[in-house]
Amino acid sequence: MNTLGRQKYTAFAVRYALLLAGALIVTVPFIYMVSVSLKPQAYTFEMPPQLFPHDITFEHYREVLAKQNLVVYFANSLLVAVASTSGTVLIASLLAYAFARMKFAGKRVLFSVLLIGMMIPPVMLIIPQFLVAKELSLLNSLLGLILVYITMSLSMQTFLLRGVFAGVPQDLLDAALIDGGGQGTLFWRIVLPLSRPGLAAVTIFTFLYSWDEFPWAHVAIRETAKRTLPVAIALFRRPDLTEWGQLFAMSIIALLPVLVVYVIFQRYFVAGIATTGLKG
Amino acid sequence: MLRHKLIALLIVVALLWIGLPIERSQAADPVTITYWHTMSPAETEQLAKLIELFQKANPGIKVEPTVYAYDDFKKALLTAIAGGQAPDAIRMDIVWVPQFAQQGALMQLDSALPDFKKIADSVFPGPLATNLWNGKYWGLPLDTNTQVLLWNQKAFEAAGIKAPPATIQEFAEDACKLTNGTKQYGYALGGTYFWAPAPLFYAMGGKIVDDKLTTATGYVNSKESVVAFQMLVDLYKKGCLSPNLLGGGVGTAQGHATGLYSMIIDGPWMVDIYKKDFPDFKVNFAPIPTGPDGKSSSVVGGEDVVISAATQHPKEALAWAQYLVSEEAQLFMAKVGVMPVLKSLTGSKDLPPYFEVFMKQLETAQARVPHPKWSEMDDALNTAFQKMLKDGKPVQDALDEAAKTIDGLLAAK
Amino acid sequence: MSQANLNVDSRRASASITVKPRLRLSAQQVTPYLFLLPGIILFVTFILWPMLYSLRISFYDWNIVKAERSVYVGLQNYQDALDDPIFQRAASNTLFYVLVTVPGQMIFGTLAALLLNQRFPGRALFRTLYYLPVITSWVIVTLLFEFLFNGQAGLINSILESAGLIREPIRWLADSRLIMIPLTLLGIWKGIGWTAVIVLAGLQSIPMQLYEAAAVDGAGTRQRFTSVTLPLLRPTLVFLVVVLTIGAMNVYISGLLMTRGGDPMNESHFVLTWMDKQTFENFKFGQGAAISYLLTAVVFVVSLVQIRLLQREVDYT
Repeated sequence: MNTLGRQKYTAFAVRYALLLAGALIVTVPFIYMVSVSLKPQAYTFEMPPQLFPHDITFEHYREVLAKQNLVVYFANSLLVAVASTSGTVLIASLLAYAFARMKFAGKRVLFSVLLIGMMIPPVMLIIPQFLVAKELSLLNSLLGLILVYITMSLSMQTFLLRGVFAGVPQDLLDAALIDGGGQGTLFWRIVLPLSRPGLAAVTIFTFLYSWDEFPWAHVAIRETAKRTLPVAIALFRRPDLTEWGQLFAMSIIALLPVLVVYVIFQRYFVAGIATTGLKG
Repeated sequence: MLRHKLIALLIVVALLWIGLPIERSQAADPVTITYWHTMSPAETEQLAKLIELFQKANPGIKVEPTVYAYDDFKKALLTAIAGGQAPDAIRMDIVWVPQFAQQGALMQLDSALPDFKKIADSVFPGPLATNLWNGKYWGLPLDTNTQVLLWNQKAFEAAGIKAPPATIQEFAEDACKLTNGTKQYGYALGGTYFWAPAPLFYAMGGKIVDDKLTTATGYVNSKESVVAFQMLVDLYKKGCLSPNLLGGGVGTAQGHATGLYSMIIDGPWMVDIYKKDFPDFKVNFAPIPTGPDGKSSSVVGGEDVVISAATQHPKEALAWAQYLVSEEAQLFMAKVGVMPVLKSLTGSKDLPPYFEVFMKQLETAQARVPHPKWSEMDDALNTAFQKMLKDGKPVQDALDEAAKTIDGLLAAK
Repeated sequence: MSQANLNVDSRRASASITVKPRLRLSAQQVTPYLFLLPGIILFVTFILWPMLYSLRISFYDWNIVKAERSVYVGLQNYQDALDDPIFQRAASNTLFYVLVTVPGQMIFGTLAALLLNQRFPGRALFRTLYYLPVITSWVIVTLLFEFLFNGQAGLINSILESAGLIREPIRWLADSRLIMIPLTLLGIWKGIGWTAVIVLAGLQSIPMQLYEAAAVDGAGTRQRFTSVTLPLLRPTLVFLVVVLTIGAMNVYISGLLMTRGGDPMNESHFVLTWMDKQTFENFKFGQGAAISYLLTAVVFVVSLVQIRLLQREVDYT
């Protein structure tokens, strides 16, 4: 191998090594989490701690699925996430389309208001949202979660989609107009299908957000039966004895859907972000 | 275009439709009352079975329990009450009852329950008194408990100690004899909140306030109180008291079962907690070691069942509360370590055998301060203890400061 | 918790298209509003109205049980919050968190993106791995880190001891200053993947011709990086700095769970966890609202300043 080739090889090796090191730092905590979920309770705090378990037991998973209502929490989270995601995609698309390709009075003002919505600390809204939800009888209901989740996602996702929709070539739209299509046709038949990567990005973001959200779910849902996964996991701790094995078993199970969604939509992910015009 | 609008409308309607059935199911018969508590997993399982018994006997009533983490509970309660979402019945820590009563959140029970006098006569006076505030009764005693010494027989034998410590002096010595670096600690406290050091504190003659609840000066910073905290601080400095009490360490229950902590002080619920998570571990109980006056003592804990003032189903909630104090219910929950408050059950053969040491300890155990501002007093004591341990503040100074704070709380109305 | 986002496109041009007037006039005028309606209804109900409500509460000593008994106090809540040593400590904790996690995520995230930008086998797997912390709920990763940093039996202490770096286990979570370390490390760890993905998108939109042209002009690897990559990446990086800063100032869940309410002495609070405690434990809703508005104001100002300072036109001839 000549000098240039060797240089390139070394450079590549160094890069790969760094990448590997980074990947380790990122994944070792997860490996440990899986490991603890498979260790019997007595070994949870064994000293010194072991990365891999001696004896593997599935008792925590069994316990958590059978006794701890995990299936209920999972179903709640799933319902809320799916509804919030579809709702957000739909409503944000409508908004983004209006901003990107329609003309109307007050557009600039409305858009600024939307942007300000992105700067508001979500947690600060918990208090008044609690009071508003109480007035609307939306407390303790999954619908209350869904509506708030959609609302909180609107600013960011509309902003993303606006960039995507703006990138659709004008000629395609003109052609459709000549064929006698209305705005609805343009929206539904042309712009949306062409924006799949962007929509995929929005889908992942919103699903992630709804699935993992904690502050609002914690305040708004009181009944155990309606809890979502993050709340159930957070409230699992006890001061005298936290059953970490079970807690981590719950966490692993909670992780699977987002992992699946991510893997499925991942292809569109980076491309989607690029088309949203975030870079400028 | 109209078609698209219709589709959008349909989706919105679908979303609403998802939300509504969840509400609808609750509006139908029978009446459902909510019951909030902070019981351990074993107790929660037992409660579920108890509820089934109750529901069978009362077909028009459904009880819906919700378990909360203790740390989160008061916040959850206050938020719920503020949001008009208070539960119907609550299993409430005895020390919170005065506070919630004063805020107007609770239903007065001696006037609401026709059978109140009968019930009052059937329970122990101590637990009953925890429901008294401002001359009225705001709850029914549900269970009582105290803390005793748990000692790891294997560790003791390995260190050559034949029996658990009988006096505080022996306790302090044993704690250090049983310590081995960071692998094993002689004693561990659950935290710096008052409940943790309370048994030893009371056994050593410590007091917080006078009997009339007028002053803390001369009590919380009395010689005995100082000596009690000083002992704990010394044990900590010597490394015989595990550092977990400051947070981020191994919990007392876990540590005791795995041999990390040779002694802890805890309550009757430990038996079932261990049965569930550490089935091979054998628990040993012993009374709290005696103090300088030769007498043992401990702290009284327990829960009362209270009803929200804002409940929509007072009749059903009261029925549930009364049931919980019935012999059937009390014996049922006793099976998982929940100590009954009914006089009639003393010495009953149906009670678990390990209750004996607790019942004996209850004879000398002392209550904390039955005042609406107890939580803030607890905070003051917590802060004092923290400062002693973290900042090395002299015990006397820390307790003097706490005395001032508590005096202020007692004076304010 | 999703990161709050901001439009850094200060260029006024927006891509709006005028619909050719072949459609009926009334439909053309009405349709935009039909598109806007659902979003606007939600926005007003759950963001705008609550914000105004919260603003109002911040001027009162708000009684949560009987609202009519609330007393108007003007700016007193704001003053009290600023004078409060606990708030000041919370603010400085938050500032520390921002100053550590934002550069941390930027640096490691960009590094990861650069590394991931090459084609090599298993790239998709690596990308998924790096993104794992991002898709995991804050609740889970906080509890995980709490477990890892356990002062007596945690893995981190064990590793440090084995490496000979410490002699005694460090009691991370028991000290109000030390606890900032797991919290900030968590903040960085969780955000690397997200930052990397955004930077990757930015990198991939840089046309190859520019690199080739630079190479033809004799530029080496490092020079290509500084004269091609960085300038074209600038808008992305600006966006990231602003968004990450906003996110960092809003740190909440990790603080709430790990410090369990600022530890008994309220020394390890972040601004939002203190707001939470004031509101939902001490029941000072007015104070809580004031604190939230103070934070919002700071977020707003800092974002604007950052945009102005960092953004510059990119001109390529």
